[in-house]
Amino acid sequence: MSDRTPPTESELVELVHSIDERAPERLHRRIDALIAERTSAPRGRRAPLRLGLAGALTLGVIAVALAVSLAGGGSKLTLRTAVALTLRPATAPAPAQDPQDPTALAADVEGVAFPYWEDRFGWRSTGARTDSVDGRTVRTVFYARGHQWIGYAIASGSAPRVSGGIARTRGGTVYRFLAEDGSRVVTWRRGGHLCVVSGHGVSDATLMALASWDTGTLDA
Amino acid sequence: MRALDPHSLTQHVDRLYRAAWALCGSREDAEDLVQETFARVLSRPRVLRGDDELYYLMRVLRNTFLTSLRTASRRPVTAAAIEDVVAADPRPTSRPEQAYEAQELYATIAQLPDNFRLAIVAVDVLGLSYKEAALALRVREATLTTRLFRARKQVAERFAPNDRETQQANGKARTPPESLQVKEHHE
Repeated sequence: MSDRTPPTESELVELVHSIDERAPERLHRRIDALIAERTSAPRGRRAPLRLGLAGALTLGVIAVALAVSLAGGGSKLTLRTAVALTLRPATAPAPAQDPQDPTALAADVEGVAFPYWEDRFGWRSTGARTDSVDGRTVRTVFYARGHQWIGYAIASGSAPRVSGGIARTRGGTVYRFLAEDGSRVVTWRRGGHLCVVSGHGVSDATLMALASWDTGTLDA
Repeated sequence: MRALDPHSLTQHVDRLYRAAWALCGSREDAEDLVQETFARVLSRPRVLRGDDELYYLMRVLRNTFLTSLRTASRRPVTAAAIEDVVAADPRPTSRPEQAYEAQELYATIAQLPDNFRLAIVAVDVLGLSYKEAALALRVREATLTTRLFRARKQVAERFAPNDRETQQANGKARTPPESLQVKEHHE
């Protein structure tokens, strides 16, 4: 940098103009997905339905491109179905903060509670849904921050084995990341349960920070 | 007046990303800011008064950026930042020197006061005319000119060899010069 240090205003302007760094391809893909989503969706719909359409669109891509596979012990719950649930619209009101535990919401799956992120990270819970997949209960809580949103699903029963994706370890827990057009997905085990968080307009760094928060003491 | 064609926006992603990078000072925050800007623009049909979509995008970028600053300031300060994990950019770069320059330069611009930062981003990084930039930033053209002059001066001073050499000779870390702390009185 010192060789090209601009000592004058005009040289500085020239230097600024000379920079032509391209945006990352992942950002281009996300913008393309946003445009495709908005131009294909009828106008004036309310947010939950719009998210549902976005989810369906993104899910189609995920179904083709996911490199992650599950080797479940006879269970029909797959990562794909869990991801799909996080992209569907909410069907129940947002759970409130747990008065007994300020870091959690008053919603859980077999004792594994959904986190309360609003004070710490600015993500507020906006809704929830509960589904049954082959006898298992999958509960999903949706969070939003500005125009960003995520779906956080926890499945009951023991978590099936997950492989593939980009694995990162934090606090002894393995987090697997999948990046798809317009949607980022991270999956990990928490208290022995399968957890899936998919984000719309959210970076891997944010997903990692959210997913790894407060889970360190829950996993053996 | 004409309706904004969403498909025409893709041509502006790179320039808007550079603008957001200079505003935020980091690539990761810039990605989020650009995506949120596009999400806002695409949230409903838009009608443009002029032909230049870039001017309109700059206006939304500015609003989104200022909103994010206000939101961040309302949040309680925590020891662990949410962005404490930086995802690696997997793209290979054939021009690492320029990438380094961009990082250094944008980081310096991001240290400027908000109004100066927005002025230099709108004109020098995004390439808007003074008139377009003034409209996008909702200020008079004369005000924009003054802010731009001061912003360029401060960034140039930040890169001045004498200043850097003096700091290095004194063993001091690179800190913003005093001029960066000057409040603007030209309103």
